[in-house]
Amino acid sequence: MSLGKRIRSGIRNLIRKKQLESQLDEEIRTYVDMLTEEKVAAGASSAEARRISLVNVGGVEQVKQAVREQRTGIRLEIFWQSFCYALRQLRKNPGFAITAILTLAIGIGATTAIFSLVYAVLLRPLPFPQSDRLVWLSQQDHSLPGVVMEPLSYPDYFDWRAQSHSFSGLASYDGGGVTVQRDGESQRLDAGMVSSNFFRVLGVAPILGRDFRWEEEKAGNRAVILSYAIWQNEFGAAKNIVGQSITLNDQSYIVAGVMPESFRYPFGRKGAELWLSLAGEGSGADSSISQRGNDHLDVIGRLKPDVTLDQAKAELDVIATGIARRYPDTNKWYTSVLAHTLLDHTVGDTRPALRVLFGSVALMLLLACANIAGLLMARGSQRSAEFALRSAVGAGRSALIRLLLVESVTLSLCGGVAGIIVAPVLLKVLIYLVPVTIPRIYQVSVNGMVLAFALIVSIVTGLLFGLLPAWQGSKVAPSQALREGSRTLRLGRWQQKLQSGLVIAQTMIGLVLLVGSGLLIRSFIQVLHVDPGFDTRNVYTARLRVPFDRYSHDQHFQFYEQLLAKIRVLPGVQSASADWPLPLSNSRASVSFAIAGRPLAPGDRPSETVSVVMPDAFETLRIPLLSGRTFTERDGLQGSPVAIVNQAFARKYFPGNNPIGQHIVPGLGDDSRFDHSSREIVGVVGDVKRSGLTAEVDPEYYLPYAQAVITDPYLTVRTNGDPSTIDGEIRAAVREIDKGVPVYQVQMLEDYVSQSEAQPRFEAVIISSFAGVALLLSAIGLYGLLSYSVTQRASEIGLRMAIGAQRMNVLSMILVRGLKLAGIGFVGGIVASVFLTSLLTHMLYHVQPLDPFTFSVVGAVLLSVSVLASFAPAWRASRLDPTRTLRDQ
Amino acid sequence: MSENQVNLLQGTLDLLILKALGQGELHGLGISRRIEQITQGTFQVKPGSLFPALHRMEEAGWLSSFWGESENNRRAKYYRRTKAGERQLGVETDQWTKVALAMANALKAT
Repeated sequence: MSLGKRIRSGIRNLIRKKQLESQLDEEIRTYVDMLTEEKVAAGASSAEARRISLVNVGGVEQVKQAVREQRTGIRLEIFWQSFCYALRQLRKNPGFAITAILTLAIGIGATTAIFSLVYAVLLRPLPFPQSDRLVWLSQQDHSLPGVVMEPLSYPDYFDWRAQSHSFSGLASYDGGGVTVQRDGESQRLDAGMVSSNFFRVLGVAPILGRDFRWEEEKAGNRAVILSYAIWQNEFGAAKNIVGQSITLNDQSYIVAGVMPESFRYPFGRKGAELWLSLAGEGSGADSSISQRGNDHLDVIGRLKPDVTLDQAKAELDVIATGIARRYPDTNKWYTSVLAHTLLDHTVGDTRPALRVLFGSVALMLLLACANIAGLLMARGSQRSAEFALRSAVGAGRSALIRLLLVESVTLSLCGGVAGIIVAPVLLKVLIYLVPVTIPRIYQVSVNGMVLAFALIVSIVTGLLFGLLPAWQGSKVAPSQALREGSRTLRLGRWQQKLQSGLVIAQTMIGLVLLVGSGLLIRSFIQVLHVDPGFDTRNVYTARLRVPFDRYSHDQHFQFYEQLLAKIRVLPGVQSASADWPLPLSNSRASVSFAIAGRPLAPGDRPSETVSVVMPDAFETLRIPLLSGRTFTERDGLQGSPVAIVNQAFARKYFPGNNPIGQHIVPGLGDDSRFDHSSREIVGVVGDVKRSGLTAEVDPEYYLPYAQAVITDPYLTVRTNGDPSTIDGEIRAAVREIDKGVPVYQVQMLEDYVSQSEAQPRFEAVIISSFAGVALLLSAIGLYGLLSYSVTQRASEIGLRMAIGAQRMNVLSMILVRGLKLAGIGFVGGIVASVFLTSLLTHMLYHVQPLDPFTFSVVGAVLLSVSVLASFAPAWRASRLDPTRTLRDQ
Repeated sequence: MSENQVNLLQGTLDLLILKALGQGELHGLGISRRIEQITQGTFQVKPGSLFPALHRMEEAGWLSSFWGESENNRRAKYYRRTKAGERQLGVETDQWTKVALAMANALKAT
């Protein structure tokens, strides 16, 4: 029969089931009646005739069953019946059902949650056509050990673009900001400065208007392309937006087009809000377009159809080497190129961690399966009478196995449904905790792909843990099982060993994870107590954008001088200053320098982190002054060139000597924004943790902002009370000086610190969660094993009690058994921990991997959990009535 | 021979049923008797085999059924062959003939 016919038949059979049954019944009975009539007609008595007919027919029910069994859709019907039966069974055993479903909910829910994370971050292709052809490019800085990615400068990029033939397009991107006037206040929007082929390379066209043109890269061109969001929110989705002019950075720009809603670049929580052509970089006094040493560009290329990544890289290596040879002052060390697919670059760092996470969660699920299999087998032995009955009325072995498998898959589907409810909650918690640096994580959702995964995992899980119990339970000897009240079906030797081994393994894993968890928690607490080198409380920070095309460098400084003077007299303000970069803000710059009296070729000079600060910066942040003095008003525009170094710098470059009075010459050959004066070191300050609480402290040097205006610094204001209350007054103060200067990125200093704590916190929480689950699983496993064992040995226990054993003896016997198993697991786990904790060393801060305190606490926890788990079955054993158990032999 | 239960393959039974019905209509017992008749007593189809086959063939569309009155005014389910059933009869007959010929040849050879 064709499939279509089969489906129609099946549906028909389902709908008219009652009618079909009664007709079938009538048909068979009529047959028997007619057969009887024949025999009566041939001379038999009616009773005899009937009897013989029935024998001949073989039984009305059997015939009807034979007809039913070949009916289309019968399989489905059987499945459905088994399914309903399984649900009823679960309802009759709520204790078991809840334990199993909860375990599965956590296991399947966690697996699903991690899978949706993995899918959203790693597996999902980038939202560009043929995104696997997109390549992220950077130069490799060979002056530093390891693989160090160095962005490109504009001249480098233009050379690459002109000389390379591997790409159908090579585009540049530079993130920045523009100021717009909104409601009388200046605001800053995230903007991208891009090469004119940027959108073409990515493969997305504007939905309104047009893309950038090549000529628009020339200085003086002012075209802008808007993001969909800003077109909606700021311009009311005006249909005639194309061709209109808008004011950015006090200049008039023409809107050339609008990007589609789905387009977002960069891939963070919010992409850029608008894009300008790189002509925007070429205006004003600091044109970075011509500076080869100013490396700040992202470069993305689209490979030509027949070119591989390696071929493109090889070609660019040659080009880079050529550039390095021609311009050794700036590019001496950039002789090779790093090329990754764009997806790889965006998410590649997270791949190992996510893999480990997924593997761990899958392992947990497997352990949960093993546990449930154990519990099912224990229950199966109690149902042996039921199976024997089924077998006696004709169910074959495969039918029994099928029934049991349907039961286990039903159980796992229930767990799966619960898991799907649990998964989004787990995801939310995970995303909240995660250190903010995982890209694409904001698009995580429980979508169709994830639900399908959950379904498949549920079914496979059910089959996995159901197989052994099903095979076990279907092995019945009906005669023995049906004997009154007998408890048959001992597990074979090897199966008992298997279960014991499983409990031991789970205990070991639980212990290892607990140790890891303990260590990471202690480490996290250590991190919380790290002294960052400055006082993080009650400091308000913000950024301003004082446009360089309206203010000269000197005027820039004067702006901040004026602003700080205003702020310092505000009520509640203790001190105020400005510096760049802010410690723990993820921005830093390093500039090479020469030390007077130690001549070196330009390419070989050391390079250290540099900061620029307004007067009072050290006092505001409470960075201690160790010797000499800090910057004051006399280090202003007219002052002699000075510098301050931190202790690490002094130790590294002037070991054993006093750095004060020495001279350094920063910035040679790197950036023409620095004047190349020889600067006298006038002070040494304490070290600060600039890049992270657990990172090493780097040598660094400070220059007065007046003498080195490189960018807009972070405003820092120390207040007496809650620093967030001062925001309005600061904005007002800025507006008083210049309405066109926006205030943005307002954040309290403490928030920068807690972002730095996020990583160790996350690690501690994750491992602790796993440890908790593993502990739970091993407890359930131990409980299940002991329960079953008590059931099995009930008669033996009864015997013991009958010949004089006290209830206490029985209780302790079972308890000891449980503790013995846990003990083996404990010892094994300790040994494993001793080896495995060395893996954690790089995640631990000031905590030894073999920390005795942690180990002892963990041991105590495991011991108590094992005692708890063993207690219930032990109690049950001690409550057994010897007369009943002996009788049930 | 009438005591022997010869195992009928499913296809063979189908063929016999289709043949037994001919152009007319029969109820279950009638089909069973007719098969016995046309095979000269060799095949006595038990209801445990007959009825599943009848229902299967009806679902496949080779037979159609209706409720009518039997000889003794009993309500009984009657079956008749459909056009598709006639075509199937032809197909199965050809197949059987091929098989029989092949077997005959095989057994004739020494």
